[in-house]
Amino acid sequence: MAKQIRWETSLTAGKVRAKKEKKLILMDFYNNL
Amino acid sequence: MENNFIPIQIDFNKNKALVKRYAVKWTPTVIISDSDGNEHHRFVGYLPPEDFIAQIILGKGKVEFDLDRFEQAIQCFQEILVRYPKADAAPEAQYYLGVAKYKASHDPRELKLGLEVLQRDYPNSEWTKKAQVYALIP
Repeated sequence: MAKQIRWETSLTAGKVRAKKEKKLILMDFYNNL
Repeated sequence: MENNFIPIQIDFNKNKALVKRYAVKWTPTVIISDSDGNEHHRFVGYLPPEDFIAQIILGKGKVEFDLDRFEQAIQCFQEILVRYPKADAAPEAQYYLGVAKYKASHDPRELKLGLEVLQRDYPNSEWTKKAQVYALIP
């Protein structure tokens, strides 16, 4: 089974994690029509 | 994906400040940024899995390139060309591979070699046009 992605919903929280874990950020802007 | 990225889902209708900051006009828009939130790559619209993955790797390569980490950038661009040579991102990866090799080595022949591969493998790509000037390199 594919691993579930742990999505952040806040850029601020994402930036903190990215710095701590030495990762980049992937932002997915979506729209529920 | 989570080995390299912190993935963030942003509701277009509920995050107007971020929508404005990144000038997002349509969804889905995927933006690859460094850990400070500085944008390095984006793509708009739904893509088949292989094209999606190739765009993600291209984005990582462009971050590495922009941060002067050329060896890491080269690895990303080569990965696209080996694993996804038919993806739409591949010609751009080939273009940046030549540029990153030049930046790493200061040898302008890398640019000309990159053009030759573009002409052979992606003759109709805009990236081949953009590299055309490197034909003047002796």
